[in-house]
Amino acid sequence: MSDNPRMDVPDSAADEQAGLREGAIAVQLSEQLARLRDHLVEAFPSLEVLGFRGELTLIAPAHQAPDVLAFCRDDPAVRCEILADLSCVHWLGGQQQVHAQETTGWPTYTEDAGPGRIEIDYILYSVTHNHRFRVRAYVSDDGGRIGTATGVYASANVMEREAYDFFGVVFEGHPNLRRMHMPDDWEGHPQRKDYPLGGVEVQYKGATVPPPDERKY
Amino acid sequence: MDETQPPQPQPPRPRPADAGAAWEDGLQPGTPAVRPEAPPAVRPERARPAVRPEHEYTVVGGEWQDLPDAAEDDLMVINMGPQHPSTHGVLRMVLTLDGEVVVDNDPVIGYLHTGIEKNTEVRPWTLGVTYVTRMDYLSPLFNELGYCLAVEKLLGITDQVPERASALRVILTELNRISSHLVWLATSGMELGATTVMIYGFREREAILDILEFVTGLRMNHAFIRPGGVAQDVPEDFDGRVRQLLEEMPKRIDEFGDLLSLNPIWLERLVGVGIMTAEECYDYGMTGPVLRSAGVAHDLRKSAPYCGIEQYDFDVVTTDTADAYGRYLLRLAEMRESLRIIRQALDRLPGGPVMVADKKIAWPAQLALGPDGLGNAKEYISKIMGQSMEALIHHFKLVTEGFVVPAGQVYTAVESPRGELGYHVTSNGTNKPYRVHVRDPSFIGIGTLPVLTRGLQIADVIVAVASLDPVMGGVDR
Repeated sequence: MSDNPRMDVPDSAADEQAGLREGAIAVQLSEQLARLRDHLVEAFPSLEVLGFRGELTLIAPAHQAPDVLAFCRDDPAVRCEILADLSCVHWLGGQQQVHAQETTGWPTYTEDAGPGRIEIDYILYSVTHNHRFRVRAYVSDDGGRIGTATGVYASANVMEREAYDFFGVVFEGHPNLRRMHMPDDWEGHPQRKDYPLGGVEVQYKGATVPPPDERKY
Repeated sequence: MDETQPPQPQPPRPRPADAGAAWEDGLQPGTPAVRPEAPPAVRPERARPAVRPEHEYTVVGGEWQDLPDAAEDDLMVINMGPQHPSTHGVLRMVLTLDGEVVVDNDPVIGYLHTGIEKNTEVRPWTLGVTYVTRMDYLSPLFNELGYCLAVEKLLGITDQVPERASALRVILTELNRISSHLVWLATSGMELGATTVMIYGFREREAILDILEFVTGLRMNHAFIRPGGVAQDVPEDFDGRVRQLLEEMPKRIDEFGDLLSLNPIWLERLVGVGIMTAEECYDYGMTGPVLRSAGVAHDLRKSAPYCGIEQYDFDVVTTDTADAYGRYLLRLAEMRESLRIIRQALDRLPGGPVMVADKKIAWPAQLALGPDGLGNAKEYISKIMGQSMEALIHHFKLVTEGFVVPAGQVYTAVESPRGELGYHVTSNGTNKPYRVHVRDPSFIGIGTLPVLTRGLQIADVIVAVASLDPVMGGVDR
């Protein structure tokens, strides 16, 4: 549907590793978003484009993410006044169970997922042009670092603190990178997928309710 | 901030030799000032015991080390909350004060953190509704709606949701918007000492909660909106009861206007307090009433409509004062606009099913009122238990395993009473969400507190915080 050759490129190897194959599904971007995509790819040729359910995602190299955000805010054709959301997804590395979509969702076999990564999604919204898209960057899940966006959007301050709290991503240059929700002396970052889930002791002959991911029911 | 580098020592600020010395040291006037030993410029790192003694409760926070030195700067640090009756919930603010003027405000949150986002990752998709509805407890139906819209978008069934379900979603969420604004009015009034407003606000809210209870069975945390539609059709008398409310509510809203809009105390406290200009709103990500009070007519119901809300005629109310009083006027007007939407939706309420036809997604429960309350209908039980093995298997599979959602990631947003409520949902192609992140407008509002309250007096801080209407259940999640 597009004249942009990038859209015909199959999923990046990185995405296959993560099991998230967004590009495999037919992309139907609105005309407005397609124009926006072409404009942004022209400005930053290193951007990788994904589309899913009519939503546009641009994958930026981690070191370039703050520059892309600044461009999105200042460029008159993009003009994203609001950083609507910043959130992360943890993709575990190593041998991972592959879930078969066509069946019940129970694990079938394992596959090497490569190094573990944390995906950082910046969701940008323009009140002027009424468009919304996502800038995404990947960092390592082992001490990953990325430049802060607080210099571009003030709202990134609390959002990045939350991301640091839950995922352990260090935002370099953040003025105040402390935990947001968890107590200050908390160990670990609870939204990571390798964070152990607790079971529950019950007062019946030493029985224990196992953690939710180990339950058989 | 590089955490390994100690803060640089600051030279002590020059100070008149005898300023306040007589008072400080209890000496006679005229005695040469003897300054007490100056505190070390760099505070030693707070020593933490290796093993904390039992029953010792501490407030260990990095922020205490960075606080300005009171003796040096003439600044005072006051801790406000989390159990303060007027901080709108368990919000704690570390206020740095110069006299009574706020120099800095460091909000501390997390006292209500319950890990709802994490909890949804280990349950089938439909059960997630039960969790997310507990986040922003004053607008539970908006949470359910945002989450369900995200799941439906991932499934690709947004177009298949029946019209009746969409219309019911609009009616219920707009009712919820009014009840949420009424609680805002009630609690804000109470925080300023206007207890009449508090009692009236909660009284009117009861009328709406009665309807919600009548429809969903619960006053809050309804879990009524489900992926694919709503849990069940509305009871017979729904139309009559909502119309009765539509008759009554405008008078009650007028009553609030009569009570407050020209009330000298109300004006004195609200006008010019908590100013957020449009630029500041953009920079800090503020949406909803705060952005609209700065004159920007931005409403997701207009710019990114959901559930067919674009077919109803309503206005986006704005004010241009950008202060707490403007937000008060705006919320009153928004309640009237919500009533307009409800009236139109009720007039045009289509018939038909309230859940998608796809039996692999629709929750199989057939609810009916029995002698012991609401439960599965007798006919349905007798069918799955006595007549159809396949129906039983289907019921069992869908209830225990749920449905599989294709891998992908979507972001959906609804216009909650507090602004843009976004659901950023990732699926890895299984029967459980891989990650659910919620963009809660209250959380974003907390991030604005340092700039919003700077330069205000403590009493105005309460007004400014209340004008954002943060709900701590949504902030902490």
